[in-house]
Amino acid sequence: MNFSLRPGLPSPKQLKGYRIWDSYFTPAYSHPGSDGSSGLIADIERAMPAVRKGEFEKLCYFPHVGIGTTSDAEFEKLIRSRSDVTLKAMERWPNLLLGMIQLNANDVPASLDALNRWLRDGPMVGVYFRGGGVGSLTCTHPNFHPLIERIAELRGVIMQHTWFVTGGKQSPGASTPSELAEVAAKFPEQKFICAHAGGEWQRGIRAVQNSPNILVETSGFDASAGFIEMAVRELGAERIVFGSHLPSRSLGTELSKVIAADISKADKRLILGENFRKLIQRPID
Amino acid sequence: MMNRRDVLNLAVAAGAATALLPSESRGKEVAEDTSGLRIVDTNVSLFHWPFRRLPLDETEALVTKYRSLGIAQAWAGSFEGILHRDIANVNRRLSDACLNWPELIPIGSVNPELPGWEEDLRQCCGKLSMPGVRLHPNYHGYTLDDPRFAQLLNLATKAGCFVQIAATMEDTRTQHPNLVMQDVDLAPLPDVVKRVPGARVQILNYRPRGPVFERLAKATDVMFDTARVDATDGIPKLVRTLPAGRVLFGTHAPFLIPEAALIRVHESGELDDKALRAVYADNADSAFWKNGL
Repeated sequence: MNFSLRPGLPSPKQLKGYRIWDSYFTPAYSHPGSDGSSGLIADIERAMPAVRKGEFEKLCYFPHVGIGTTSDAEFEKLIRSRSDVTLKAMERWPNLLLGMIQLNANDVPASLDALNRWLRDGPMVGVYFRGGGVGSLTCTHPNFHPLIERIAELRGVIMQHTWFVTGGKQSPGASTPSELAEVAAKFPEQKFICAHAGGEWQRGIRAVQNSPNILVETSGFDASAGFIEMAVRELGAERIVFGSHLPSRSLGTELSKVIAADISKADKRLILGENFRKLIQRPID
Repeated sequence: MMNRRDVLNLAVAAGAATALLPSESRGKEVAEDTSGLRIVDTNVSLFHWPFRRLPLDETEALVTKYRSLGIAQAWAGSFEGILHRDIANVNRRLSDACLNWPELIPIGSVNPELPGWEEDLRQCCGKLSMPGVRLHPNYHGYTLDDPRFAQLLNLATKAGCFVQIAATMEDTRTQHPNLVMQDVDLAPLPDVVKRVPGARVQILNYRPRGPVFERLAKATDVMFDTARVDATDGIPKLVRTLPAGRVLFGTHAPFLIPEAALIRVHESGELDDKALRAVYADNADSAFWKNGL
């Protein structure tokens, strides 16, 4: 067998030079397994060959913390009472994983408690708001205001799932980049990440263009050519952060958007890691 | 004067040579050297995507990129074949463009909704020496249980042409709101294919899942490309699910970034060297060239 063949990928040395920090790692995104971790760990292992091939330095995933982001009552109860379960994956890969907890804006008191437990006391670096299904709420809802204020106090990163779906929203809790721009205008000092750049990125980029405190994240849609070139042209490379969406999507789909783009190497370095590192204002071991 | 067969032979030779060319950087990423690995892309389109300009939508830029990636051969359809109705001219332009680049193999467009489509097919498989034709049933407005599709498949097979069916060209969620095309319903395909012995059919841009895929996998010899098979281990899973030889490398470039599919084939490390070579080129070679020409 000859695994030295890796068409399409730059050399390991080139990839290491980018210092890749993945802002959107989605192992067992919906449910980590009834014991709180087995499905998550299996999915991380599934992603590891690609993670190694891509020479990633760090990956940020979105742990559930028992505030109603799944429909499994037993699981929710388990992770509310056992923080060690939530930490299991991070303890296994302490130098690799970062976490942004999944918040539930439908339950503000529980979300505020979770912010204290996981952001104030560590080790999580930010929060993730879902774009549909259990625990999701459109980001223009007033419930977001006290949460954003507290996240800002704690200097956390906010990742908001967004999509512009042709034909309209497919879930009542979904958010669009335009809605995120409305929210971001109310909190000009807080940075927001517009996950998936809205999916239909031509509209998504335009929707956040005049919101300097919004960055776009690159994963979650086919490797459609021209995306990064437009994003760099209209937003600037400093407003783009790389996400892999592994393992449900792929290194090929997501990394190629950046490495194959007709932009400078300096811009690729910003997108692939530097911008996300700057956003994380909390100390990382 | 060279005929298409001579050009094809040259293309195969040129493919081996281009794989050895040094990668060009031009401010872009230098991909790993793929010397010794033959790569055939079965799903490329030339000319302009109707809804926006693409970085590689000029043929010279596409070919330059493919040489830098070590892709030896590309089966090129035409974006013009999706919406244009002067299909005969679309196919002539495609054929002419491919003559300038030995690694490009033209794949004609046929729209059975148009009067005289049989002549378009005859031209593609005859005078223009194209080895196959590409269909867009959703954009052209027919279903695969339409008798004209069976007739087209029959005529193409008799003429020695394979048939590619583009299951989709773009995720429905990101399509232009005034021209939304649902994915092609492939459910009728197994029955049609069974009625046409020797038919060679490849489905492009398909996300394999569900009962229709299971029927296609078990009841037919239909082949698939890799362009939209996602998940880090999606392509190895597809290879394991299907009998040998039925997964062919395809990128859907220039609409999609060609490196995306190139990397997806090997990123999980699950395919051994032989399986990698089969997907990247051997399956395409054996299925469509050795048997077909």
